[in-house]
Amino acid sequence: MVTASAMSAPSPSVQSLLRPVVSVGSVNGAPTPLAPQIAIEIDDVDFCYGASKALHDITLNIAARQVTAFIGPSGCGKSTLLRCLNRMNDLIDGARVTDGQIRIDGVNIYDPRVDVIELRKRVGMVFQKSNPFPKSIYDNITYGLRIQGESNKARLDEVVEKSLRGAALWDEIKDRLHESALGMSGGQQQRLCIARAIAVEPEIILMDEPCSALDPIATAKVEELIHDLKKQFTIVIVTHNMQQAARVSDRTAFFYLGKLIEYAETKVIFMQPANAQTEAYVSGRFG
Amino acid sequence: MSATTENRSLGRLPTREALLQKRRGWFFGMSGDQFVKYLFQGNATISIIVLGLITFTIFRDAVGFIPMNHASLAVYRLAGLEYVDIYREQLTTHSTMSRYLASVRAQKLDQLMNKEGLAPAAAMATLAEFDDFANRFADTINEQETLLGSMTDLVTAVKERQTVSEDIMVGKQYLLRAMAGATPERAAELQRAADVLTVEVIDFKAEFQRVLALRPEIAAANTSQVAALKALMAGAPKFADSDLQRRMEKFQGFVQGYCQEVEVTAQKMAAWDQSKPIGWLESFNAFAFGRKWVTASFWQDWYGIIPLLSGSLLIAFLALLIALPLGVAAAVYVNQVARPVEQKIIKPYIEFISAIPSVVLGFFGIAMLGETLRRVSQIPALDWVPGFPMAERLNPTTAACLLALMAIPTIFSLAEDAINNVPRSFKEASFALGATRLQTIIHIIVPAALSGIMAAILLGFGRVIGETMVVLLCAGNRIQTPDLTSGLGVIFQPVHTMTGIIAQEMGEVVRNSIHYRALFMVGVVLFLISLLINWLAQKIVRRYRISIG
Repeated sequence: MVTASAMSAPSPSVQSLLRPVVSVGSVNGAPTPLAPQIAIEIDDVDFCYGASKALHDITLNIAARQVTAFIGPSGCGKSTLLRCLNRMNDLIDGARVTDGQIRIDGVNIYDPRVDVIELRKRVGMVFQKSNPFPKSIYDNITYGLRIQGESNKARLDEVVEKSLRGAALWDEIKDRLHESALGMSGGQQQRLCIARAIAVEPEIILMDEPCSALDPIATAKVEELIHDLKKQFTIVIVTHNMQQAARVSDRTAFFYLGKLIEYAETKVIFMQPANAQTEAYVSGRFG
Repeated sequence: MSATTENRSLGRLPTREALLQKRRGWFFGMSGDQFVKYLFQGNATISIIVLGLITFTIFRDAVGFIPMNHASLAVYRLAGLEYVDIYREQLTTHSTMSRYLASVRAQKLDQLMNKEGLAPAAAMATLAEFDDFANRFADTINEQETLLGSMTDLVTAVKERQTVSEDIMVGKQYLLRAMAGATPERAAELQRAADVLTVEVIDFKAEFQRVLALRPEIAAANTSQVAALKALMAGAPKFADSDLQRRMEKFQGFVQGYCQEVEVTAQKMAAWDQSKPIGWLESFNAFAFGRKWVTASFWQDWYGIIPLLSGSLLIAFLALLIALPLGVAAAVYVNQVARPVEQKIIKPYIEFISAIPSVVLGFFGIAMLGETLRRVSQIPALDWVPGFPMAERLNPTTAACLLALMAIPTIFSLAEDAINNVPRSFKEASFALGATRLQTIIHIIVPAALSGIMAAILLGFGRVIGETMVVLLCAGNRIQTPDLTSGLGVIFQPVHTMTGIIAQEMGEVVRNSIHYRALFMVGVVLFLISLLINWLAQKIVRRYRISIG
C-alpha cells in the first residue's frame, strides 16, 4: 500500500514525474526562486468544525505541476481539506485546524505570521458553482489585479487576453468583454472563473468539483483546459466523478470518513488499489 | 379480495366506497376548506374596498378645492383687493427701508456706548440729528398710508358684502331644497322665509369707481413723496466710520430704487384690469406654486403649498442624510463583520427603535435635543458653523435628528436583507482572489446589494416624509419657505410641514370650506409622493431580483 507517509520521501517513480520548475508565478517580472518539487506538504492535519472532527491525521504531499484529485463519498472531508489549502475555512465560524501543519514552500500557512491575503493570491480557487461577479467579463477578470492596485489599462488589457486565452475562452467572447458575465452560458461562466483565478498568476489552483453543474460538452472543455493548465500550475481538484479523476489527474487521493485511505498515482488507484475500500469505491460498489 | 378483507380487518371502508364519500359541508353547505377560503377572500376584498373608498373620498374632497379657490380669487380681483395689494407692496418696501435705517441707528448706538464709552443719555443726544433724519424719512409715507387705509376699507367692505350675499344665497338654496318633500303648509312657510331673503347682486364695476376716484390723489402723493425724498437725501447724515458710511450709501441706493418702484407701481395699477377673468390653471397654480399659506385672514386667504412642501422635503432630506450612513453602515457591519453574538444583540436593538412611539420621541426632542443643540450652537468656538448660534430651539435639524432615528430601523432592516441576499459565493470568490474584507464589501457586496439598498433608502424617505408627530412637535411650525439665500443656515430656520399642517388645522376647519379642501389637497400631494416612492422602490427591487438571477 502506498500510504501518504511514504510520500514524504518521494519514490523514484514519482521523482521522474516531476519536471524541474522554472518560474511559477512572478512578482514584478522577477522570477521567484525555484519552486520545490513538492508544492504542498500536508502533515498530520486534524480539522474540526466546532466540536466535530472532520479530518483525522491527514498526511500527503502534492506534487508541483501535476493534477492531484481528491475523491471519496460525500462528507468524507475532501472539500474540507481543499479549503484548508487556501484557508477559505477561516470564513466559517468555529472551523479550525487543530493539529498538524500545511506547508507551502516550507512555510506553515497556519502560522500566525502568515498573511492570508498573500496566501490566497498564490493559491487560487475555482468553486463548485460558477460564481462570476455581477459585473462585466472584463471587470471580473481584472478584479483580482485591481484590488492589488493595478490600474494600468494596457497591462489590464493584456492580462484579460492572456487569461481568457489560457482558459480557452478568448475566441468565444472577445467581442463582448464589456457585457455582463451573467449573460454567458454555464460552461463559459465556469471557464471565466478559471480565467479570473489565473489572472492573478497563482502558483496553485484549487478546484472544488468544477464540473458538477456542467453538461458533458462543457465538462469536456473544462477537462481539456485542466490538462493545459497543469503545464503552468499545480492543480488540486475535488471531484465526485470517478471517470473525471481518471481522465484528468496524475495522482489520486481517496478519502473516507475524514481519513486518507489511499494516495497513489491515478492509474494505480484505479487499476490496482491496495486497499479494499478503495477498490470497492472506484469500482462503484459503494459511495 | 385479500385487500378488501385486510381493509375490513382494519375497520376501514373499501376503497370504492371511501372514494365516493365526499362529505357535505358543515357551514351553509361549505366544507372547512371552502369556508376558510371565503373568509380570507372576504377579508382581502374588504381591505381593498376600504382602501379604495379612502382614496376616493380624499380625492373627491380635494378636487373641490380648485373651483372654490377659483371663486375666491375671482372675488379677490373683482372687489379690487388685488389692485390694493399692488399698492401695498410699494408701502412694504418703504417700511423695509425704515427698518434698515433703524438697524443702522442701532449699530451706531452700539459703537457710541461700547467703543466710545458714552452714557446712554449722551449717546442719544449724539444721535439726535440722525433721529431727526429718520423721523422725516418715516413721515414721507404718511399720505400713502392714509390712502392705502381708505382703499383697504372700500374694498374690504365690498368683499364683506359679497361674502354675506353668498351666505344668504346658500341659505336660500337650503330652504328651497327643503320644500321638495314638505307638506303644502310647510312648503308655503319655507317659501315665505325664502322670499324674505334677498340676495344682493353686487355691481363690482360701479363699486370700484370709488377706489379709482382716489387715483389723482395717489399720483399727487407719489409726486410729493419723491420730491420730499430727494430733498431729504441731499441732507443725509454722514458717518466718519467707513462701515456705517457704506451702509448709509447703500440706503441711498435703496431710496433711488424706491423712487423707480413708485413709477412702476403706478404703471401696474393703471394697467390692472378688473374684468380680466381668472384662468383655471391660475387657480391651480396658486396652490401648486403659491408661496403663501394664509388662513382665516380678514383680507385674503392664500393656500400655496410651497412653504409646506419645501419644509417637508428639507426635513426629510436632512433626516435621510443622517440616517443613511448610520443605517447602511450598521447593516454592512452586522451582516459582514459582526460576530454572531454581536449580531444577536445589535439587530433587535436597532429594530427596537421603531417601537418607540413618535410622540415620545417628539417630547424628547422638545425637552432635550432642541435645548442641547441650541446650547451647543451658542459655544463661541463654533461660530464658524453656518447658522450658529441658532435662534430657535425647534427647527428642521431638531426634527430631522429624531426622524433619522425613526428611519434607521427601516433602512437598516431592508439594507441588511439586501446584503444578506448577495450570494455567499460572491464573497468567497472575492476572498479567494486575495481581496481583503473591506475590498470585498466595497467592490462586491455593496454594489451587488445596491438596488436593494436604494429601495431601503427610498422607503426610509417615505417613512420620514409621512411622519407627523415629531415634525409637529419639533420643526418649529412657522409657515415660511426656507430661505435658501441664507446658505446652510436654512436648516436652523423653523418650518412647517405638510403632515404637520394637516394635523394642526384639520380639527378646527369648517367642513367643506375652502380651507378644509385645501388641507385635503395637501393630503393628496402627500399621498402621491408616498405612492411614487413605493412604486420606485418596488421597481428597483424587482430589477435587482432579476439581475441576481
